[in-house]
Amino acid sequence: MSEQAVFQQALEHIARLGEQREPARYELDGRRPQLAVAPPSVAALQEIVAVASQAGLATVPWGGGTQMGLGNLPRAFDLALDLRKLNSIVQYEPDDLTVAVQAGCTLGELSAKLGAHGQMLPVDCPTPDRTTIGGLVATGLSGPRRYGYGALRDLLIGISVVLPNGQLSRGGGMVVKNVSGYDMMRLHYAALGSLGVIVQLNFKVIPKPRSERTVVAAYRRLADAAEGALRIRFSQLVPTAIVLLDGRAARVVGLNLQGWVAALRCEGPPVAVQRQADRIGEAVRPAAERLDVLEGGASERLWAEISGAIAAAPLDRAIRVRIGQNPSELPQLAEEIDRACTGLAVERSRWLDIGSGLCYTALASEREADLRLAWERLARLGLHATLLSAPPAVKVDTDVFGREPAGLAVMRALKETFDPTGILNPGRFVGWL
Amino acid sequence: MDRQALRERLLRIVGPDGIIDDPDELLVYEYDASDEVFAGHHRPDITVLPRTAEQVQEIVNLANEFGIPVTPRGAGTGLAGAALAVRGGILLVMTRMNRVLEINERDGYAIVEPGVINLELSQLTQPRGYFFAPDPASQRACTIGGNVANNSGGPHCLKYGVTSNHILGLEVVLPSGERIWTGGPAPESPGVDLTGVLVGSEGTLGIVTKVMVRLTRLPEAVNVLLAAFPDLESASQATSAIIAAGILPAALEMMDQLTIKAVEAAFHAGYPEDAGAVLLIELDGLAEIVAESAERVAELCRQCGATEVRVARTPRERELLWLGRKSAFGAMGRLSPNYYLVDTTVPRTKLPPTMRTVEELSREYRLRIANVFHAGDGNLHPLILFDRLVPGEIERVLRCTTDILQYCVDVGGTLSGEHGIGFEKRDYMTLIFTTDDLCAMAGLKRSFDPRELFNPDKVFPSGFSCGEVNALRQQALAQRLGIEFV
Ligand SMILES: Cc1cc2nc3c(=O)[nH]c(=O)nc-3n(C[C@H](O)[C@H](O)[C@H](O)COP(=O)(O)OP(=O)(O)OC[C@H]3O[C@@H](n4cnc5c(N)ncnc54)[C@H](O)[C@@H]3O)c2cc1C
Ligand SMILES: Cc1cc2nc3c(=O)[nH]c(=O)nc-3n(C[C@H](O)[C@H](O)[C@H](O)COP(=O)(O)OP(=O)(O)OC[C@H]3O[C@@H](n4cnc5c(N)ncnc54)[C@H](O)[C@@H]3O)c2cc1C
Repeated sequence: MSEQAVFQQALEHIARLGEQREPARYELDGRRPQLAVAPPSVAALQEIVAVASQAGLATVPWGGGTQMGLGNLPRAFDLALDLRKLNSIVQYEPDDLTVAVQAGCTLGELSAKLGAHGQMLPVDCPTPDRTTIGGLVATGLSGPRRYGYGALRDLLIGISVVLPNGQLSRGGGMVVKNVSGYDMMRLHYAALGSLGVIVQLNFKVIPKPRSERTVVAAYRRLADAAEGALRIRFSQLVPTAIVLLDGRAARVVGLNLQGWVAALRCEGPPVAVQRQADRIGEAVRPAAERLDVLEGGASERLWAEISGAIAAAPLDRAIRVRIGQNPSELPQLAEEIDRACTGLAVERSRWLDIGSGLCYTALASEREADLRLAWERLARLGLHATLLSAPPAVKVDTDVFGREPAGLAVMRALKETFDPTGILNPGRFVGWL
Repeated sequence: MDRQALRERLLRIVGPDGIIDDPDELLVYEYDASDEVFAGHHRPDITVLPRTAEQVQEIVNLANEFGIPVTPRGAGTGLAGAALAVRGGILLVMTRMNRVLEINERDGYAIVEPGVINLELSQLTQPRGYFFAPDPASQRACTIGGNVANNSGGPHCLKYGVTSNHILGLEVVLPSGERIWTGGPAPESPGVDLTGVLVGSEGTLGIVTKVMVRLTRLPEAVNVLLAAFPDLESASQATSAIIAAGILPAALEMMDQLTIKAVEAAFHAGYPEDAGAVLLIELDGLAEIVAESAERVAELCRQCGATEVRVARTPRERELLWLGRKSAFGAMGRLSPNYYLVDTTVPRTKLPPTMRTVEELSREYRLRIANVFHAGDGNLHPLILFDRLVPGEIERVLRCTTDILQYCVDVGGTLSGEHGIGFEKRDYMTLIFTTDDLCAMAGLKRSFDPRELFNPDKVFPSGFSCGEVNALRQQALAQRLGIEFV
């Protein structure tokens, strides 16, 4: 049988195994797949993936589709695998603080269920009704709240993955402490769906704080803002997020302030939150031009906005870049970003996640060449740099994951072992794996 | 294998004081802290003690050249036999690589060599206001490298998470001989999370030569409570109640009557000797929260039947309460010539029936079982007391262990919470994992170590192989589709 015939037959077979979707709705870096299907069951998914693997169909797992900006240009794109029919909450034990959920379940749905028992997954999200749990884990991006609660990585206690050969592989379990076997959770976390299709995730969940407040302080100079934020970071106070925003970044998230803005989030029992916000306020006040405290819903909305602003959703005529750096060196990095932009017609906004050690910047320009040049320069800064999203033309001939990571040989071996025909998100991951 | 040639080449790398191959001196390296009765003893061909990462790399290259196994070892306090050279070859003892290379308070990390003792790191950083959160009860002896390899836990992991959550990066020598740094002080470095995969891999994927650990700020306030209960069941219920109330103590440890008596006899920690069980509860964080939570915890304990709730007033009192807990295993020597420690985790709400089952099994097998464990995590440690000289006793211990593990798995638990699978528990792996699950893990192993030279015969069940499974699956698929794949 010719390769072409196998390919066609495989597509037809797959089309019968799931609900078909409109391929036009699955655009990835300007490309559309031949076929888009939503498998109704794990068993169907297993068969689809196995067939795709045998026939060599370039397959892209698809959750809410909100972060498809992250990743290199795909080598090929034949099949979009919409996972949103695998969306049940498999097991929830509120008293154990554990939950098992299918990958296609949205964060909104899961949060509603957990919220009814006063629990949560500590992720902020501007699009909870679209973002899927599988997408969250596959991208492995955490917002600023990582500082207080850790990344989802550290709350993951179990996983089920369909591997390209169709086999279901599980790791971990439903207990909060477990060293039985290899850590398959972390193998797939942030691997961008390049080693397998995630079908189920088990988490330990966190009691939802009863109240929250955010101290927002505006400064004229970055140095003052940074000094205040870092002072809190070294103290025994326990905010759950510490971020610095430049003026433009502040306006993006709805804060109409000039200069540099420090936002520090406090969560917990009401009295403690109030006391802590007071103490933080006192500590950061001296050099501040202005100090506000956002309470409850207003505080929550600000952080959803911030998460949305730093996420990898593609923008027109703009790129987003994430750079890792030691927290104490982030202010310096912010200035290096400025210098890197000199001579280019770009508008830039910067978010410094002082709690975690990450800087996000969005650069907008009418001139594609300037965006390319800006990325080339930014790619060298900090400890690592990633082009989170960009117009396809800017992505051509560059690895959006920046410098080649150490251990690429092992990563390649993993890819070859688990996905020997290279069908999952082909070319999209680090080093074009 | 040409032993003499190997010896000479190793000698050139580490010098005469870095090699041990005298049979008498090798004796101590035939064992680790696992029980010989269950894990046996295994003589390495040669023990090597490197001082630098470069030496480790050269040794690994040599092992590749000779095609012989390398088994890394820290302090040998592991309880699953993971540091035993079960196929001989080189035992790589990392204890001479024990320098603290950097402490960076500003960014909250330290870089240490793997042979640094766990407690020493915290002692070094505490005056500066920081600590290394994972605190296994063996912390006076065990190494950070061992902690990393076993993803070790400890009382404070309830709030702060296990070792894995505190490792920012690793310098490792891979089976290929390549030496790399994974991770780093900033999170989310692109690529597969090799740090996450290596932690807990029990020395089977790479040899750790440097560790970048997260340092945690000392809390503003600490409060330790001791609650005495009439029995294990009520103490278990209190544990569940505290967690379900949304309170996250720094630590929540349980001891049963047998343990209390042993500890009191050995250390006079001030535990109430007539209690059926005690909970040791540490709360930490902001002063306001600690005060509020302490009241609530005391109340919950009383509601669950606590006969007494005590609060440690001074750091000295706190230390004493902890000393008893941390030395509990040591105190067991007073009760029995041998003990076997079963490490397993169950969902927290399953603790009461699990404790009941352990009691029943203790009666059924006529073996005394002491319990001292990380209740807040549902991580239990039944200590089965026995005397290896009594005929038939060892078999009963094994059967009892299997029954306990099976019960825990049946109620949704797992095989090991913190001590690892190693050599000793590997044949239990099929209780929780299917062949497919294990094949995927084997794929991970193979990607790192295609020749299976790093710490062989660990983690996977004996005789395990998955070569044919995949070929059969593909045949079946092709048949069903009527397609011939290329
Ligand atoms: C810097 C940054 C910070 C962020 N912070 C936060 C935050 O704090 N809180 C928050 O909620 N969100 C945050 N996000 C966004 C978060 O990453 C996305 O909400 C989520 O990843 C998107 O889910 P999705 O279902 O839309 O994924 P999609 O856009 O559908 O997919 C994203 C990628 O994951 C792959 N994928 C999706 N599902 C699977 C699966 N089941 N198996 C294998 N691969 C799969 C896809 O192939 C694709 O490559 C952040 C994003 C960025 C860039
Ligand atoms: C009394 C007692 C109490 C204990 N309490 C606890 C507890 O509370 N919590 C807990 O989790 N454990 C506990 N343990 C178990 C044990 O102490 C831990 O597993 C510890 O982390 C092992 O460290 P080690 O240096 O002794 O390692 P070893 O026992 O020497 O080795 C353990 C594993 O690590 C590997 N290894 C060692 N160094 C390296 C390296 N540099 N690179 C790669 N692999 C390496 C070995 O190959 C082996 O697989 C206890 C043990 C005892 C005896």
